[in-house]
Amino acid sequence: MIGNSVSRLFYQLICIGTALLGMTGCERSEPPVFRFNSVEWVKQEKTHLAEGEHFPEDYKAEIGTIMTALFGTPDDPTFPFFLGDEDPAHDVISIESLRMAAGPTRVDKRESATGLYREHCAHCHGITGNGAGDTAASLEPYPRDFRLGKFKFKSTPLRSPPTDHDLTEILVNGIPGSAMPSFRTLPEDQIQSLVEYVKYLTMRGQFERFLLGELAALDGEPLIDLSLVDKPDGGEPSEDDVEEFEDQMYAVIGEGLQERIIARWLKPERKVTKIEAAPPEFDIQHQAHRQFVQKGRELYFAKGNCMQCHGDTGIGDGQLNNFDDWTNDWIKSADVDTADPTSYADFSAVGALPPRPVKPRNLTHRYYRGGDHPDDLYLRLRNGIEGTPMPASTAMTSDEIWAVVAYVRAMPYLDSTRDESEKPVNEKQVMR
Amino acid sequence: MKRVFFCTLLFVLCVSMNSLLFAQDGWGNLTGQIVISGDAPVNQPEDVKDNSDKAVCLIDGKVPLDDGVVVNDKNQLRDVYVMMYTGRGADTPDTYHPSYDAQTKVKLTLDNVKCRFVPKASFARPGQTLILKNSDNVGHNCRIATMEHEHNINIVKNAESEIVLGEESDKIPGEVRCDIHQWMDAIILIRDNPYVSISDKDGKFKIENIPAGDWKFQFWHKKGGYLKTIEVKGYEPDRRGTIELTIKSGETLELGTLALPGDALTK
Repeated sequence: MIGNSVSRLFYQLICIGTALLGMTGCERSEPPVFRFNSVEWVKQEKTHLAEGEHFPEDYKAEIGTIMTALFGTPDDPTFPFFLGDEDPAHDVISIESLRMAAGPTRVDKRESATGLYREHCAHCHGITGNGAGDTAASLEPYPRDFRLGKFKFKSTPLRSPPTDHDLTEILVNGIPGSAMPSFRTLPEDQIQSLVEYVKYLTMRGQFERFLLGELAALDGEPLIDLSLVDKPDGGEPSEDDVEEFEDQMYAVIGEGLQERIIARWLKPERKVTKIEAAPPEFDIQHQAHRQFVQKGRELYFAKGNCMQCHGDTGIGDGQLNNFDDWTNDWIKSADVDTADPTSYADFSAVGALPPRPVKPRNLTHRYYRGGDHPDDLYLRLRNGIEGTPMPASTAMTSDEIWAVVAYVRAMPYLDSTRDESEKPVNEKQVMR
Repeated sequence: MKRVFFCTLLFVLCVSMNSLLFAQDGWGNLTGQIVISGDAPVNQPEDVKDNSDKAVCLIDGKVPLDDGVVVNDKNQLRDVYVMMYTGRGADTPDTYHPSYDAQTKVKLTLDNVKCRFVPKASFARPGQTLILKNSDNVGHNCRIATMEHEHNINIVKNAESEIVLGEESDKIPGEVRCDIHQWMDAIILIRDNPYVSISDKDGKFKIENIPAGDWKFQFWHKKGGYLKTIEVKGYEPDRRGTIELTIKSGETLELGTLALPGDALTK
């Protein structure tokens, strides 16, 4: 399966290498380029090398060449369909959709649009999908960096990609309480094109991170040594050379990209978490609804352990010194003291935004970032929220989860100055 | 009927005899003991800050010391992963010894005791069930993050939750954390290749029933990453902390004492 594509990719690599060498023209303006993941580079150096040691700079060019061969450029995106027309990845990404989203913003005479991503998304999420667009630093929360492959609001558990439906919901509804607006007015095909482009940028970014993760173990050798088969003296490669080359291609493209990344994005619908039907007393009209809300309140303090972060009254004043995974990803790699900017100056220099603690949601407002349908809240509790400290509640039954959902939905309307009779069930712990 | 019974009995005997013979023929073991040469790093107190659960988390009223590097009074080092190398370019066996089949069916317990994960370092196979236990009287969450696996489970005080691990294999161990008590950390390796041993409190490791042949083995510690400076008599570890060993049928390869310079554990 990989063998077929090896030769094709090999030619692509050579062609691009040659093209890069031969580029001497004087175009009017530089087309935008995907930005190299320098934060990950610095992180890998700090994790694996001694103080002051660096990876050879050549790796940046090699990674750039591999990335361009497989994923193209912001103006001309492509996708590695290793099995040609039969490749199952066609269900996930279509080149037509990518072309509609990529490139400069433009509407042709027949009113068909291109450049949607640059028109609607890039100013916050960046051309590369690195969450570092022009406005990023001034937004709270920061725009999402897609390259970690993590998504918060989805119907699938941690490490399973979101479905197209999940991403569409975010685009259509926006994210209340953040700068992410609703794109409800866009036609369906444009939304779908952006959904696919986000997946494309994500897989691209995941693969680049994988390549950077390999560098420490390579000891200066290239990721894929083209000179094994493209001998500098023009000689024929030996059988061993070809075998070694194929091993390298397999390690990087086969395992690294095909198996670890693309295969997991196929059919995320298989992993969707089943939402059990809510019991009748979940209905606000039901005579036992009040007791059901009270049960949810007890769970909030006991089995749910919710007060630990969201606070006793739900205003989000519990645990306040955590960071999300997008931040933890690099601050955990070195001796970063988030209170001391000089301790992360090397990261700031390559574009890392200042770390900000993640805020547990204030539940007394009616803003639910991942959607306000009861099913949305059920999923947040059942699966947790990827990339954040919010854990999955595997120990609760579905009725118990529904009770907590009922309580959370009632919270904005409850009086926070309760009388003595309404003290929490585990008073000692709460009143510490 | 009797005949059928005896045939079955004979068959069962043959099979079990066969596997007995198998254990001696075609498989070998690997042992060794890891000791820090020079000074072991001094463990600093954990950064407990003003966490409100101090009543439960302090040990005899004192802030616990970091358990990243654990040695006994002879400087023998715990929690080193000695594992068959499965990374880039690795040659690995197609089949494992049948004695490892049962491993995936055993439930592995990861406990929280006085705001500390017990055990500190563990090894699990894909598909295995983990019991995430909380012996403390405060709530924890258990965040498992490796290259291929991720779970973040709420574990209620004095209770437990079960999870079933996915089918993917990691190449190096990942981490386990609690967001509520951020100094808590543990290590877990999740992979199908069962040829893994984690050094015990005396620094000893033992891997049994390895197929006879030449295999690369890797030394890894959370605070040192790939242990490329580990001294193994007669071998020169590479940058990934691997050495190639010849496992002989029916024999135990004894590596003896492996010295690790203390300055390797500074991460």
